[in-house]
Amino acid sequence: MTFTDDELVARSVGGDAESFNQLILRWERPIYALAYRVIGREEDARDVCQETFLRAFRALPGFKGQAKFSSWLYRIALNLCRDWIRRQRRAPVMQMPEGVEAGELIAEAGPIESIEDLVSRRQLSEVVAEAMKLLPEEQRTAIILKEYHGMTFQEIADMQGCPLSTVKTRLYQGLTVLRRHLEKNGQLTPQLVNRS
Amino acid sequence: MNETFICGDYEALVSYLYDECAPNERRAISGHVAICSDCAEELVALGATREQLAMWTPPDAQLGFRIVSDAPRSNVLRPLRWWRQPMPAWAQAAAAAVIFTTGVTLGVMRGADRGPARPALLQTNASNSSVTKSDLVALEQRLRSEMSQPHLAPTSVAATPADARIFQQVRTMIDESEQRQRRELALRTTEMVRDFDAQRNDDLMRIERTLGQMDGTTGVEVAQQRQMLNYLMRVSQRGQ
Repeated sequence: MTFTDDELVARSVGGDAESFNQLILRWERPIYALAYRVIGREEDARDVCQETFLRAFRALPGFKGQAKFSSWLYRIALNLCRDWIRRQRRAPVMQMPEGVEAGELIAEAGPIESIEDLVSRRQLSEVVAEAMKLLPEEQRTAIILKEYHGMTFQEIADMQGCPLSTVKTRLYQGLTVLRRHLEKNGQLTPQLVNRS
Repeated sequence: MNETFICGDYEALVSYLYDECAPNERRAISGHVAICSDCAEELVALGATREQLAMWTPPDAQLGFRIVSDAPRSNVLRPLRWWRQPMPAWAQAAAAAVIFTTGVTLGVMRGADRGPARPALLQTNASNSSVTKSDLVALEQRLRSEMSQPHLAPTSVAATPADARIFQQVRTMIDESEQRQRRELALRTTEMVRDFDAQRNDDLMRIERTLGQMDGTTGVEVAQQRQMLNYLMRVSQRGQ
């Protein structure tokens, strides 16, 4: 039987730790992905992910359901990422490999994807990661929440504590910087529009 | 929402890009894009950028976190508070001597008032009404010898009733102290065993995770060789 987040939260508050473990299982990947994309370091992203769930577990009795459980988790994770960035006092460093590891490439290759395609995709991933480093933290976070976590403008605004229009501006400015960087690196070619 | 769209309204363009605008606003922007090449190109470029962003995937990580228990707050052994620390033997002996001396002094003072009911032990000191150092040493030695024979009955000690009462009090204090120390030792031992078990479980999990990663790596290497062979065969066939 599959429970909703709210049901699992209620059971967890009632003392059922196993229900909370189900919530962890459900949300640890998205939270890890968010942390990794924001801070850019695999090990630290794992730590942030773990700390997020620990804090959530401790604070669960105070969670009154005023927001979605996932939004609450995202908020905790983002606060932890922000703390991490402040502690580092420098731009996040992406842990991308210098060379292309054939083993890793094959491990993630699909059944019909050639090695050339795979190398190209991996290089593009690196270029995107590099480009994301150029963005200010607010723009980067807005793009990550929108592109990879499918949040609405309003949800991002609530998460970042800013007006809706600011979110749209951050998205537009961030996308523009990324676009220029990708064009400069040959990953994106300006396209002409067919207006027939 | 706006029925018309003006070039340069990037907020509206972003809403259109992510399909988060009202139907009438969407119609207005669609109509504008159909006739404005700049805005159309901007939209296409932003859309292409979004497609490229989809290629960015985080590395696969070993997660699998679980809440095991909310009880252990720390695996680190904390030092005991000073008042809970076990008292060393010399300090216990000194405390016993001080208590005994105080008792004797009080007894002497009361005995001096009463006159004939003076204890025999203190008769030698009646001239100056105080306890000398040699007396204290002798008493301490007696105490030590009694403490070293815990199974002797109190009646076997040749002492006055006042001494026996004081001895009894000192013995009670020492017994209580020993019980406290035993409890403390049991508590510390339990904590150590628990911390040891927690650390062992943690190590076992880490070892299992490492073994799993090694298995995965080996599998990847085999797959890599197979894939490379296939690739080389395809390339050589293409060359022919």
